[in-house]
Amino acid sequence: MKDTKISARGVNVYYGANHAIKDVSVEIADKTVTSFIGPSGCGKSTFLRCLNRMNDTIDIARIEGDILIDEEDIYHPDVDPVQLRAKVGMVFQKPNPFPKSIYDNVAYGPKIHGLARNKGELDEIVEKSLKRAAIWEEVKDRLQAPGTGLSGGQQQRLCIARAVATSPEVLLMDEPCSALDPIATSQIEELIDELRGRFSVVIVTHSMQQAARVSQKTAFFHLGDLVEYGDTDDIFTNPQDPRTEKYITGRIG
Amino acid sequence: MSTGQHIASAFDRDLEALQATVMKMGGLVEAAIQDAARSLESRDEDLAQRVRDNDRQIDTLEEQVNEEAARVVALRAPIASDMRLVLSVIKISANLERIGDYAKNLAKRTGVLLQLPTIEGAPQSIRRMAREVEVMLHDVLDAYIHRDAQMARQVRARDEDVDQMYTAIFREFLTFMMEDPRNITACMHLHFIAKNIERMGDHVTSIADQVIYTVEGAIPEDDRPKGDMTSVQHIEG
Repeated sequence: MKDTKISARGVNVYYGANHAIKDVSVEIADKTVTSFIGPSGCGKSTFLRCLNRMNDTIDIARIEGDILIDEEDIYHPDVDPVQLRAKVGMVFQKPNPFPKSIYDNVAYGPKIHGLARNKGELDEIVEKSLKRAAIWEEVKDRLQAPGTGLSGGQQQRLCIARAVATSPEVLLMDEPCSALDPIATSQIEELIDELRGRFSVVIVTHSMQQAARVSQKTAFFHLGDLVEYGDTDDIFTNPQDPRTEKYITGRIG
Repeated sequence: MSTGQHIASAFDRDLEALQATVMKMGGLVEAAIQDAARSLESRDEDLAQRVRDNDRQIDTLEEQVNEEAARVVALRAPIASDMRLVLSVIKISANLERIGDYAKNLAKRTGVLLQLPTIEGAPQSIRRMAREVEVMLHDVLDAYIHRDAQMARQVRARDEDVDQMYTAIFREFLTFMMEDPRNITACMHLHFIAKNIERMGDHVTSIADQVIYTVEGAIPEDDRPKGDMTSVQHIEG
């Protein structure tokens, strides 16, 4: 068993009167890929967004309970959400590179967080991040070209490079492959598998097969409840809760 | 075990068709066991010949199950209980095919035994043993279709009776052979028959394991009872 990286205890989320997450407690392991699955509106993305305080920007959102990363409460008043998000990176469903060069897309985070003392160090971070995102070979000769000119799969890997450039400890991915073709999807999945050697990766996906392929742990959400959480092997061969079984096998109910 | 219907109804039809083919195989195999044992007892060479001929149908159905199962895996990517079901039909059909082969072998030896001196009481003992295995097979297929793990466990336990019957027959044949060496050829054939029926029982047990796996998601771990003592037994002449 890997060490716990993220620990959520009794988390409730309300969007106004809507009770979106109901008393969810879960321990997410370090250097492990954890997938969140469940039907649309089940709360999996909401819960993911709690992990780097993305819900702070939504006025009507109210969050109760504790979320600890390395045993530190990320909702403590002293915690700066900007610093937190450098530590907890995020990749979204649709690739969203900045309308800037490939180089600047990756260099932006390290710059604002002051992670590089000079141009040489920054170059190094950019190269290392692009290599980790498995896109270096494809872009190394055109780093000044606009990031938006890349293909969808390349853009998503650029976004992953941007997310890992600040040396995060946790990487959150919200359906990172849903806009990609099968080849680009395989490349991202392969990348996720490599990244888990370094980070705790949490991925929200609508693809059962993707959850089965990339994750070691799976959490099934339904109507705001965390119904079942366990080893991916067990969830996909012999789920314990009938709601999980029905959902993953595509049954009515 | 989920019993709800799939949103994709064609998936349900595929899974039902797979199980129907397995049940059809099961019916043919039950008949093969019964007919083969009866052909031995009533010295009916025509019946034995029919058993030998019918085995081809069983083999064909097994191929059909394998092809269909492969298609379902490729097109539907079954998971959880669906995956267990697909794995179970592949394994169960392989077990049934083996049992069918043993029945065919029994029917072959019937042909040979007709030319040899009769062994008092042996065809009846064999028939009883075959009957026991046939009933176990019938029950385990019932357990499969009703998803009844408890019943599968009972079938599993009954294999001990078959093993004990085999041990008794083994001793009986040894005695016949010691009494008169002219009995040896017939007894050797009869012994292979008894051994093959005992092996059928093992395949039925293996099907029971598949029923339990399909229902509960895990193969039973406890060693099942063993009544066959012939491999460790020494009988004085």
